[in-house]
Amino acid sequence: MAEHDDRLDRAIALLREPVPLDADLDRRIAERIAALPAPRRAGPLRLAARWLVERRLRVRPVWALAAAAVLMVVTWGVRGLIPAPPPAATTAAAPGLQTVRFVVLAPGAAHVSLVGDFNDWTEDATPMQRIATSDLWAASVPMKPGRYRYAFVADGTTWLVDPDAPPALDDDFGRPNSVVTIGGS
Amino acid sequence: MHTPSTAGYPIAPICVTCLLHRPPDVTCRPVTGYGSVNGPPDGDLVRRVLDGEPDAFGGLVARYRDRLGRYAMRMLGNPADAEDVLQETFIRAYRSLGRCNDPERFGPWVYGILVNRCRTLGAKRARRNRVQIADDVVLARAAAPGDHAENQALRQTLEWALARVSPTLREAFLLRYVEDLSYEEMADMTGASVPALKMRVSRAREELRRLLVEASDG
Repeated sequence: MAEHDDRLDRAIALLREPVPLDADLDRRIAERIAALPAPRRAGPLRLAARWLVERRLRVRPVWALAAAAVLMVVTWGVRGLIPAPPPAATTAAAPGLQTVRFVVLAPGAAHVSLVGDFNDWTEDATPMQRIATSDLWAASVPMKPGRYRYAFVADGTTWLVDPDAPPALDDDFGRPNSVVTIGGS
Repeated sequence: MHTPSTAGYPIAPICVTCLLHRPPDVTCRPVTGYGSVNGPPDGDLVRRVLDGEPDAFGGLVARYRDRLGRYAMRMLGNPADAEDVLQETFIRAYRSLGRCNDPERFGPWVYGILVNRCRTLGAKRARRNRVQIADDVVLARAAAPGDHAENQALRQTLEWALARVSPTLREAFLLRYVEDLSYEEMADMTGASVPALKMRVSRAREELRRLLVEASDG
């Protein structure tokens, strides 16, 4: 066993060695950054909203359940004020397809994406649209009948599940997802 | 510049600065990490960018590129993906810099972005081609010039073994043992609990040890 541990320790030391990167990488990054608008400081409201979002990951299970219940109540309440259908609501689409509307509450987010089995978990494939000036974001996706795992990504860094949908129990990448099942006609 | 100690190591001495195996006549520079290199503190650079001096972001890129690039390379298994993810991470960090709540801790913050980008890209590409890339390309690149023969063999075996550890376990192992992060820092970045991360690291160690033994016995 000591010999095996020694081999693993040597492996770790090798993994710590620097890797060669393209010498041109810094220039390419600098060029892309030069084309972007200058970043701005977050205002107090956005900081407060982010604080609330980030605390989501650190609460105890009992508080998480309570927060989920409150969120459901808030979500259902807000739904009554807007014309959008509820999350994962389906409407008629092209033959063989049903349009599924996804809605998520993401306070403080600047952009939100929908990722799932249907878009190969590609973050840029299905950007969501903000509903008016609210913190609700929505996207409509034509889908074939089937079972799909999905999640929302806020600002490219925060992974959100749909509080109104069942969780995926067969996730293979170590993070929670939701499930929507589209029935055949 | 420093001279590694040679005492007690059969393969190559361990450098007292960077803790890597190095031949006695080789000098090396430490791997950069947050707070470990010269220049203005991260917080100063972040504030300068937010105050309208975008070029200051170059200092942050220079400070973190090697370490972030190493993680991306070890996690994704091929240079093209690693450089894509690294570039995208810095772009996202720049665009979101105003939401870096604690500029002094830019390092852990940008690390969190990288970890998520690696997850997203890994989920897309892992099933399709990672193992083939690891076998065909990474192994060819694995040998460093002047590498000791036994190190070279271990390096190739290691690439093979890493490609066979699940992404979740590989991520935890790399963050803990290669990037030397605390479990609390890892929990902040991954959203997983400290006990869950300890379990993943332990399982990853066992899996890697088993694979290394399996490869050496084969």
